[in-house]
Amino acid sequence: MKLDRLSIKAYLGIVSLILALLIPLIFGFSHYLLTVLILMLVFIMYASAWNLLALSGQGSLGHAAFFGIGGYTSAIIAGSLGISPFATILVGGLFAAFIGVLIGLTCVRLKEWFLAMVTFGFAIIAHTITTELSWLTGGWDGIPAEKLISVTIPNYILYEYYLVLLITVIVIAIIYLIMKSKIGLALEAIRENELEAKVMGINVTKYKLMAFAVSAFFAGVAGALEIHHFGYITPEVYGIDLSFLPIIYCISGGLFTIEGPILGTILITLLDEGLKNFGFTYERFVIIGLILVLIVIFLPKGFVSIPEKIKSMLKSHS
Amino acid sequence: MDFGVLIQMIVWGLYAGCIYILLAIGLNLIFGVMKVVNFAHGEVLMLGAYAAFWIYTFSRINPYLVIPVSMLLIAILGVFIERLGFRPIMGTGKLNEIFLSLGLIYVFQNLAALLWSADSRSIHSPYSNVVVHIGAIKLPLDYLIIIVVTIVFLIAFQLFMKKTTIGRAMRATSQNREAAALMGINVERMDMLSFALGSALAAAAGSLWLISGQMANPYMGAIPAVKAFAVVIVGGLGSIPGAIIAGLILGIGENVLPYLLQAFVAVFHVEMSFTAWKDTIAFFLLIIVLILRPTGIFGEKGE
Repeated sequence: MKLDRLSIKAYLGIVSLILALLIPLIFGFSHYLLTVLILMLVFIMYASAWNLLALSGQGSLGHAAFFGIGGYTSAIIAGSLGISPFATILVGGLFAAFIGVLIGLTCVRLKEWFLAMVTFGFAIIAHTITTELSWLTGGWDGIPAEKLISVTIPNYILYEYYLVLLITVIVIAIIYLIMKSKIGLALEAIRENELEAKVMGINVTKYKLMAFAVSAFFAGVAGALEIHHFGYITPEVYGIDLSFLPIIYCISGGLFTIEGPILGTILITLLDEGLKNFGFTYERFVIIGLILVLIVIFLPKGFVSIPEKIKSMLKSHS
Repeated sequence: MDFGVLIQMIVWGLYAGCIYILLAIGLNLIFGVMKVVNFAHGEVLMLGAYAAFWIYTFSRINPYLVIPVSMLLIAILGVFIERLGFRPIMGTGKLNEIFLSLGLIYVFQNLAALLWSADSRSIHSPYSNVVVHIGAIKLPLDYLIIIVVTIVFLIAFQLFMKKTTIGRAMRATSQNREAAALMGINVERMDMLSFALGSALAAAAGSLWLISGQMANPYMGAIPAVKAFAVVIVGGLGSIPGAIIAGLILGIGENVLPYLLQAFVAVFHVEMSFTAWKDTIAFFLLIIVLILRPTGIFGEKGE
């Protein structure tokens, strides 16, 4: 049977989804494993959200702002109004999207380094605002966030895993549809050549803001999910590390593709967890940093381009 | 409001501004020649501070004499960063530079933490108790030395760029790379030199900072470098005078604004401290300048 490229991708997608569904059955019910997997899923969403913004040529260095705003909004509303986290996660995402549009407005005229710096700055400003509004946010100590699924329910972590998996699949599907739609094409056109895109009748400002809103929304949802999983939130969610992680995942996996952030998050998280279990502390970040440098230089399209690389190498040898 | 305190704050601002200026000049030079930005410039500063710390710890000579050695070592590191990191990705897009820098930040920060632990290190300057009185202003001698050393570096840098053949060749390369290459300038050597010189200036900033009483730790460089880059953008990419002015504005603004704001709200009988906002001032400045003038104050063209 001969499969073309698209169907191979679809096939791989379905296989990995089935695998994700079966993992708790295959490896047994382990609290540690499921926690790692839940965080992996959260970061798949987060990295995919970052990737969507990068698709429009806007490489943000401050996505932790949206991750944190989503988390804080959701935690505060769930805590003060007693609304279920399932609803507040969406509110967190929406508020992050609102802030995303505001930040996007300052960024529409900016590119590359300028944009990177402004987004980085917004993450620091968001961090400061949050710690200063301590009557609302608990300051440096943070505030508790209601658990997604009550700890009193037996095997709650298993339910949580399947729930986050379901949300991740929905989020990835939506991002996939956006990337394949006219919007995705417009974003790519803007990235390749903004002036040409404008000449072709694409409303550049509108699409850039749209990318900011959608990307911030999903980053906010991911942030809210993470903190409702942990059960608390502190200003650490605005950390520089949290802004850099989705970038590392996207580059190592493959920028501007739907499968890149997924693959990158899985491989780098597994590597990180593996090295952690070997007792490596700083070493593992050195290794991940080196991998990032090597990928940027030698494999700019990320892990997803490895099959193609091998194919072309075999071709040139024969 | 106490004017004595205000003047004191301005002096601190001058001192902080010197560090930003040294970093910003290096970034500007590298950007001018290669059109790349090394976001890991702060980690170069950090390694410079550590180099100064170790040389001082082993030799116990006057810490100010350590600075040239640290600069030389870090200049060599700069050459390696350029050769092994930025050279291979030149022309592959601006986003790649950001990503490569991120990788370098991870490598340098954690390598430093691995080799020297995450503990803060400090040097005791022989002049740390000496205070110079200029009128009502009390100025620690170390701060004065740093301000003077920075001015000397700036003058030497200008003379080097304007009067020497290599300096002229570097300026030619930054103006028009192809034309410079056609005129027989080895532009790749200029890339290397710009990285060496830029890194050496960052090492000088790091060493000066350490000597003046700041702690060295693996993460010390991240925020100053980002602010220095904000200074470069605000001043206009490629503009040396712009970087100097913006660096001074930021250094002084950071120290004086929180104090002024506190005094201002005190008029309305509100007690509020704004010191937590210190690190955000650079970005507010950056955002405001970029909204009003996307090319920076002294910049001619956008990127």
